[in-house]
Amino acid sequence: MGITAKDRIRAKLKKGNTSVRLLLAHPMHTGRAKNKQDELIPAEFIQDIRCWRNEEEVLTIKCGTATARNPYFSFQLAGGESNDLIAIRWVDNLGAKGLTETRVK
Amino acid sequence: MSKIDQKRRAILKGTISASTLAMVAASGLLLPQRLLAHWPKDAFNSETVEDALLALVGQAEVASDKALNFKVGSPPSYAVNGASVPVAIESDLDNIERVAILVEKNPFPLAMSFDLSPAVLLPFKSMIKIREDSNVIAIIRAEGKLYKTSRFVEVDIGGCG
Repeated sequence: MGITAKDRIRAKLKKGNTSVRLLLAHPMHTGRAKNKQDELIPAEFIQDIRCWRNEEEVLTIKCGTATARNPYFSFQLAGGESNDLIAIRWVDNLGAKGLTETRVK
Repeated sequence: MSKIDQKRRAILKGTISASTLAMVAASGLLLPQRLLAHWPKDAFNSETVEDALLALVGQAEVASDKALNFKVGSPPSYAVNGASVPVAIESDLDNIERVAILVEKNPFPLAMSFDLSPAVLLPFKSMIKIREDSNVIAIIRAEGKLYKTSRFVEVDIGGCG
C-alpha cells in the first residue's frame, strides 16, 4: 500500500498543559503478512520515536511490530507556552528517518 | 599466510568486537537515567511475556496496583479490527520512568515501550495490533517498582497478518 499522506502533528495548550497529537505515515509491515503473489512482505516498521520541546528531549517511544499502521500517539506535556517548538524524529528498522515539528497553539 | 599470522588476526578481531561490546554495555550501565539510543532488540524479539519483561525492565517485584488504569479497544474490552486497537494509559503515580504495553498472544508480545521524562503527563494514547483474543498488559516502572495490570480484549479480525 503506497503512502501518500504526510506525518501530522498538533500541539495545543489545554488548561495550562500542552496536549500533543501525532500521526505518522508509515506502513508498519510486520514481516509476517503476504502480498497477492503470496510472497512475504519484508518487515518495515518504526523503531524509535523521539520528542523534543525547545531543544529538551521529553519522550522516547520504542515500537515493536505490533504498533498499528500509521501510528497514532497522544500525550500531554506539563506546562508549556504558546509558540513552543515541538519536534518529533523517527527512525525505522531500514534506517528511513522522518522529522516533523510544530509550534504550540 | 602463515598459521601464526592467521591466529593473530583472529585474536585482533576478537579483541575489537569484545571492546566495542563492552563500550556499549558500559554506556548503558553508566547512564541508566538517560534515554538510550538503541532499540532493545532482545525485548522486542522475545516470544513470551516473561522474556520480554525480563529483557526490558529487568527483575523487579511486581506490585500489582490500582494506581495504573488503562483502556483497550473501543468500546473497551472489544475490538472489531485487531489491526488498530486504541489503548489509553492513565496513572496517578509520580516519577514514572517507563511504560510498556504487551499483548500476550501476539507472536512478539511487546508492542511498545516508552521512556518518560518528568515533563510528560499521562494519559498516553496510541494504537496497537492484536492477533487474537488476548490479554493486553500494561506495565509501569516508577521509583524502582513495577505496576502491572491487564485487560482481556476480544478481537473480531486478527491484526498481525
